[in-house]
Amino acid sequence: MDMDSSDSSKPAPSPKAPKRKAERAGEDAFDLWLQRGLHQLYDDVAAEPIPPELMRLIEEDRSRRGK
Amino acid sequence: MANEFHGQVIALLPRLRVQALALTRNRAAADDLVQDAVANALAAQNSFTPGTNFAAWMHRILRNRFISTLRKQRETTDIEDVPAGAFAVSATHEDRLVLKELGNAVNRLPADQREALFMVVLQGMSYEDVAEATGCAVGTAKSRVFRARRQLQTWLAGEESAEATTEEQRTERARISGRSSERGGQRARNGSGVGEHHLLA
Repeated sequence: MDMDSSDSSKPAPSPKAPKRKAERAGEDAFDLWLQRGLHQLYDDVAAEPIPPELMRLIEEDRSRRGK
Repeated sequence: MANEFHGQVIALLPRLRVQALALTRNRAAADDLVQDAVANALAAQNSFTPGTNFAAWMHRILRNRFISTLRKQRETTDIEDVPAGAFAVSATHEDRLVLKELGNAVNRLPADQREALFMVVLQGMSYEDVAEATGCAVGTAKSRVFRARRQLQTWLAGEESAEATTEEQRTERARISGRSSERGGQRARNGSGVGEHHLLA
């Protein structure tokens, strides 16, 4: 008996909710894919050895200031 | 103290290189930019306050250097590099095509969005650090990353507009976005250059 009244007090589910959920799921999947893709593209760049002339620039400054 | 400073510079070099590539889209220009920024930082090291955010300070120097170079050569036409990762032998032919397409699309983003996206996604920086490094509000940093992601999603799914299709299509396309679009890549290749003007504004 009371069940009827409690049911009617629940807010009706928004018709937009499943749509929004699907959209979010798509975005999350894409963001994961994007992260993996960017790492594949650019991790090599970060891992490259430091150019010797740049290292020399830093080391020369370090020893000059260390004196 | 001096040793600590130089050690921090060296430790940060890989990240600076990625940031430089995000800004210049060109390997040779990125290397020059890092070199110039390091030279500036070494000259200005007394202005760095120990204990404050070194990475943000250094990123700011690199960014300012890029902007001042850009002002000097406003109409430079550079060759946009697609990173070598796009040609990795371990990847399948299809994967290489997808990566190349992604690289082209990334190069098509406005420079400020690409920079923020790289900082967050590749370097794991917090939005607070991105904001400090790029001199904007935290909300702006978030918004740049969000817009970059959604723009790439739109381009790579071959859509003119993210709103132009159903949610189901978008979800499916995002899932297989790697395979989906010659068209997006073609547009990326034909793109009219990238919004460095955002940085100069």
